[in-house]
Amino acid sequence: MAFTDRSDLYAAVHEEGINRVVRHIMQQRPSLFNYATPYFLQNPGLLCVPIKAAPEVTAAGNPLFTVQTPLPVLAAMPPVGLNYCLQFTDLALDFHDSDTIKLPPELGTLPAQRLALYMKGCFGLGCVLEDFYRDLIPLAEAGAVSHGDKPFYGLASLPSSQERDPIVPPVRKLTCFCLELYAVLHFEWGPIGKDEYLKMRLDRLEIVDLKPEEMENILECYAEAVLRLGILPRLSIKIEKMVLDITRLLRQQGLQVGQQISLVPAPVPAAVPHNPAVEDDQLKAFVNLVIQP
Amino acid sequence: MAHLTLAVSEGTFQRSFDLLKRNLTFQDSDLQDYGAFTLGYDVKMHLEGGSVDLRDDNTIQIKELDIRWDRLKVIIGLDIPRICVGGGCINMPWPIPDICLPRICVFSADPDVSISPDFASLVAQEISFTGSLVARYFDVSVPLPSPDPCQLLRVVPLPGNNQWQIFVDPQTMDLDLFDFPDIVGDLIEDALTSAVTALIPGGWVRDLILAIIGGVADLIRTILDIPDDIEEWLSDLFNVSFGLLDFIGTLVLDFFASCNPIYAIDDPFEILPAAGGLIPVRIPIRNLSVRAHDLEMVVQADVGA
Repeated sequence: MAFTDRSDLYAAVHEEGINRVVRHIMQQRPSLFNYATPYFLQNPGLLCVPIKAAPEVTAAGNPLFTVQTPLPVLAAMPPVGLNYCLQFTDLALDFHDSDTIKLPPELGTLPAQRLALYMKGCFGLGCVLEDFYRDLIPLAEAGAVSHGDKPFYGLASLPSSQERDPIVPPVRKLTCFCLELYAVLHFEWGPIGKDEYLKMRLDRLEIVDLKPEEMENILECYAEAVLRLGILPRLSIKIEKMVLDITRLLRQQGLQVGQQISLVPAPVPAAVPHNPAVEDDQLKAFVNLVIQP
Repeated sequence: MAHLTLAVSEGTFQRSFDLLKRNLTFQDSDLQDYGAFTLGYDVKMHLEGGSVDLRDDNTIQIKELDIRWDRLKVIIGLDIPRICVGGGCINMPWPIPDICLPRICVFSADPDVSISPDFASLVAQEISFTGSLVARYFDVSVPLPSPDPCQLLRVVPLPGNNQWQIFVDPQTMDLDLFDFPDIVGDLIEDALTSAVTALIPGGWVRDLILAIIGGVADLIRTILDIPDDIEEWLSDLFNVSFGLLDFIGTLVLDFFASCNPIYAIDDPFEILPAAGGLIPVRIPIRNLSVRAHDLEMVVQADVGA
């Protein structure tokens, strides 16, 4: 049976290929997946998880993580910030029908024509050492009583924003925890503007082993918003890109025929039962070539 | 299982081929002055007919593609040295005025004589071609042979990085410099059409006769093309080009094609561009292959670890 029995063009990508691409991105652009305060520029060994970067990254002097401002300590006067890091350490996809990703019981087994997403993220916070408290507390007390004209030593007028650089206590060891997120997604065709795109849609997600349940729900709610509004829209692929951008190739060869060619998904179910199809560990797209007379 | 698979059906190839034929025209003109004479050309051509066929032996066959000339003018000009007579004056005694002869020059223009016959209606070519697509890896660290046989034939400069390159590997070529069946068929059809149009200004009778003339001309083309069809069939059967011109043409094409890829993919392949001082993200491409069979062409590749 030929790949193109049911359409003019056929494109497929295997889950292992996508996961390798993800690993390459994580290793060559680690700053997309790791966020930390400047303290870790000199102390990368203190991060929750060592960052595996490609040799070219360090050779080019590229950052291993995106620098973040320290986490402000509420009401502290003078301002104090805590070191922290947020790291996304694992990211993998699993197309139906293999089960390289074991979904948690809450999500059940992976349905047909769906893909599973696994993501692991770790958060670490540098707690203030007791020695440092001894030094900081007199400063904080002095700062508080300087507003002594106000009742309750100024509790009614907490500083709204930090007016100067915060004091950032050093860290000997981060306190880290990791969360695992599982999601079930599917692909569909749809327009963005005038063009047809392959889009990824979220069905359900689950953050495992988090208590209390309300906190888990809140985090899942936030993760869903980030995925649906922030990340997935950026992963939409224009239909021409899936087949090596035929019109661009023709233009490069000096042939101005792009306006006569368009690519459209093969109709479902007239031509194919599923399009795009997620099966046999692959994402398959069936595309027809329409040539205007 | 390959990580990436792309397949194109034979029907899509045929429709794309038809689209290319409709859009692909070539025209050029030039005129050079060599002193005593000028030489030039003014040509415009397009493609007609032909078919494309994907075959089980991993080859693609383009069959009987006609090259049609809309203009095929050869311009020859001759610059004859200027010849002048007269212009002198005869001094006459006073009071008779001097008699001056008018100066008459000939062949003052450049060129003085120019002819530009148009051979478009007399010339037609037909080409058949069989070849396969081959993927090869260009490793920039491997030194080129010395001397480099491709040095003069390379259209695109050598890449500065590793690449997967796709080449056309010609098997056979049949080029009819003078496609006599089509030339004769066109001449007969044009002559008869003109005669009938002159005799019968319009109406269904004329349309009917013109349709019959078209059919007869096609029949003549087919009959006259039989020897060429047999030659192409034999050439395809034995996988060798018959005829000195075709043999040399295949050799030249083979050599040219092996030096110039029709498509190239960088390895590693850039998927995220450099931005804000960050290096680009590149993925290694492995095991790129191209193969054709009766129904489709398939390109496959893996992503390196």
